[in-house]
Amino acid sequence: MMKKRIPALMLAAAIAFSAAGCSGGNQPSESSTAPSGEPSTSSATAPDNDLVVAFNTDIQSMDPHNTTDTLSITVSRTMYESLVTFDENQEVVPLLAESYTAEDDNLTYTFKLRQGVKFHDGTDFNADAVIANYERCLADTTLRQNSRVAKWESCTKVDDYTVAIKLKEPNSSFINQFTQFQIVSPKALEEGLDLNKNAAGTGQYTFKEHTEGDHVTVVPFADYWGTKATVDSLTFRAVPEDGSRVAMLQTGEADYIYPMPTVQAAQVDGTDNITVGAVASNIMRYVTLNTNLPELSDKRVRQAMNYAIDKQAYAAVVFSGYCEEVLSCYPSTVSYYSEQTPYTYDLEKAKSLMEEAGYGDGFTLTLWGDNISAEQTGMQFVQQQLAQIGIDVEVLPMEPSTLSDMIYVDEDEAEINMWYVNWSASSFDADGSMRSILHSDMVPPKSANTAYFRNTEFDSLLDQAIKTSDPEQLTDLYAQAQAIVWDEAPWLFLGNDELVYGAKSYVSGITLNPDGSVDVTNAALAQ
Amino acid sequence: MGRYFVKRVLSTIPLLLVISILIFAFIHLIPGDPVRKMLPKEATQEEYEQLKEELGFNDPLPVQYINYMKGIFHGDFGESYKNGLPISEIFPARLKATLTLTLWAILWSVVLGTLIGIVSAVKRGKFLDYAGMVIATSGISVPSFWLGLMLIQIFSVKLGWLPTGQLDSWKGYILPAITMGCSIMGTLARYSRSSMLETMQEDYVRTARAKGQRESLVVLRHAFRNSLVQVVTVVGLQIGGLLAGSVLVETVFSIPGLGRLMVDSINFRDYKVIQALLMFFAVEYIVINLIVDLLYGVLNPKIRYD
Repeated sequence: MMKKRIPALMLAAAIAFSAAGCSGGNQPSESSTAPSGEPSTSSATAPDNDLVVAFNTDIQSMDPHNTTDTLSITVSRTMYESLVTFDENQEVVPLLAESYTAEDDNLTYTFKLRQGVKFHDGTDFNADAVIANYERCLADTTLRQNSRVAKWESCTKVDDYTVAIKLKEPNSSFINQFTQFQIVSPKALEEGLDLNKNAAGTGQYTFKEHTEGDHVTVVPFADYWGTKATVDSLTFRAVPEDGSRVAMLQTGEADYIYPMPTVQAAQVDGTDNITVGAVASNIMRYVTLNTNLPELSDKRVRQAMNYAIDKQAYAAVVFSGYCEEVLSCYPSTVSYYSEQTPYTYDLEKAKSLMEEAGYGDGFTLTLWGDNISAEQTGMQFVQQQLAQIGIDVEVLPMEPSTLSDMIYVDEDEAEINMWYVNWSASSFDADGSMRSILHSDMVPPKSANTAYFRNTEFDSLLDQAIKTSDPEQLTDLYAQAQAIVWDEAPWLFLGNDELVYGAKSYVSGITLNPDGSVDVTNAALAQ
Repeated sequence: MGRYFVKRVLSTIPLLLVISILIFAFIHLIPGDPVRKMLPKEATQEEYEQLKEELGFNDPLPVQYINYMKGIFHGDFGESYKNGLPISEIFPARLKATLTLTLWAILWSVVLGTLIGIVSAVKRGKFLDYAGMVIATSGISVPSFWLGLMLIQIFSVKLGWLPTGQLDSWKGYILPAITMGCSIMGTLARYSRSSMLETMQEDYVRTARAKGQRESLVVLRHAFRNSLVQVVTVVGLQIGGLLAGSVLVETVFSIPGLGRLMVDSINFRDYKVIQALLMFFAVEYIVINLIVDLLYGVLNPKIRYD
């Protein structure tokens, strides 16, 4: 009898030990849960002058003309610069250019270039350098910048420090998209330097090393034309697991992490010298409603569904509060945002609209989405909310590539009912935030208008706006366009994610941009 | 034994060919392709079709397969669609991380696992036996993902003794190696215990005791050596599994190993990387099985290879 009790006791001890480990990791925090904007200033000092930033993934490409993911963009911006860039208010400002002008024809843009700028390999920056980059992107169709420069008529040298770009047709989004056209040393391009393994830009930092799947390290460029970097080195680490990323911030192995998992944000804020902050993103969360379906072709049904969603509860349940209600079809961080009358949570109104449309007894729909856990929570939330007005939703989470295959099919084969998805235009322009997902030319398989939303008035407003450069006219055109989408409600408008980061209090000068890229050009560690 | 070896090696060639065809077919049969992920999301259908054509995805599958195999025979495994790096460059660094970690994990778990097994068998039914089996069972049943996070919380965050992962220094290997080795230690302890118990009943062990040999010699020379055949089988199987990379351990400790590469590549539909990895795992299993079979003969000369 005695002998049998021993293993049981040991097992109990083992369980007690593991439980202690659990509670050790979950210290309650005394600080508030409210997201704060900037890392707080504190007297804490950094243990060294090497800045480590941890992300959830590794970069996809180091070639600045071939990047689409925000992390690759973040890293390439430390080493490369473009003629124009966004400031902290997402306004376009000159960078490698001193100034620029747009001609009245909305086709020609002239850039005065900054003088005395050197590339990392010692080459001078001038008009020839810009042209060499244009020629590279035009010639190589596998580069992701290729489709952008293919829309240019020409890129010509006016003098050594002036270039003129002429577009094939007017494009009010051009200057925003041009912020992503980074300049590589013409000498490196000529010599065929492998831009996936090396870098030669004009940026604040020069390339040191990249261990695939692990980290990229850059060090300050001694001959940088602007404010020089103050840290000794800057490392971007790939830390896929949320808990480990937070642990690295706690131990000081990382000085800044993004994304900070929202469920842990409140717990660690204020502990171990950690400040948690959040910024509004350019990410729009929505559910597309296939307007080709008989039930969803009725505007009243789509509006009823919007009234049936409690947006505050959505933000709390899915994002631990790090999500803002959005009052248009794109977030306020994008240009020409125009606020609409909210679909305030109102079940009575929703039910009466359903009655009016002849669907008082409801119907059944499927909801597709990615199979990652946060997305599934969101889908279940929508399911539960719509059940309140008699709509029986079947949630079907799918592996992303498989889902993508089911979305991009010919219209007569489309099986989509609803898609839980998000969209963000990295160029922060109104056209980029609407055209690919709402213009009637853009239904699958061509692009992602998965609501099969077709509104000729909306289409013509968008087509008119893209050819206009007058800000007042644009404000008016885009406001009308947004009003149409809001009223027609081809989507469930859910919210606008906030991006959450964690930083040690001795870190300053890092800005998290609304697109999830991180600007580290002014980063400093308190010594 | 030499003839046996040559025969085994030759028989792997048709096997590998069949495996390569199966891998190729299965990867291309699953829905999705890398082209969408390679393009910006605003890309149009024309751009999609164009890139698809350029990458050769519109060719019939047999043609794609032959092109792929041609490359392999020239030592060219192709490039990753995700980051454009040649697979021959991505692979060695990833393998090194997984291999080093596996070695450390195997080393400690084999030593401790067999030791627990022997002690438990010798002290059968006593306290040490129970204690050993509790450790072994815990080792097998604790989920490695949870264990890894707990070790990080205790030894990195609370105590500050060890890094949270990253193989920059030897210290970085400790926590992942412990996490990885736990279930092997447990499995081995159980196998070696039961195998020891069996051999301890054998006549030759009784004879050795009757001759008045010291107990330690009886246990180690007569019983343990003969129980090793089973232990080697288990270790061989476990190493095979570990070399395929432990996705969970590599994820928790941010280690860029083969397991994470496999998962990332599947998510991206990075066909060439997936193919190269699966082929490597197949070869690796074949080699390890061969080594295990050869070791049988070394451990037990009664085993013949005819």
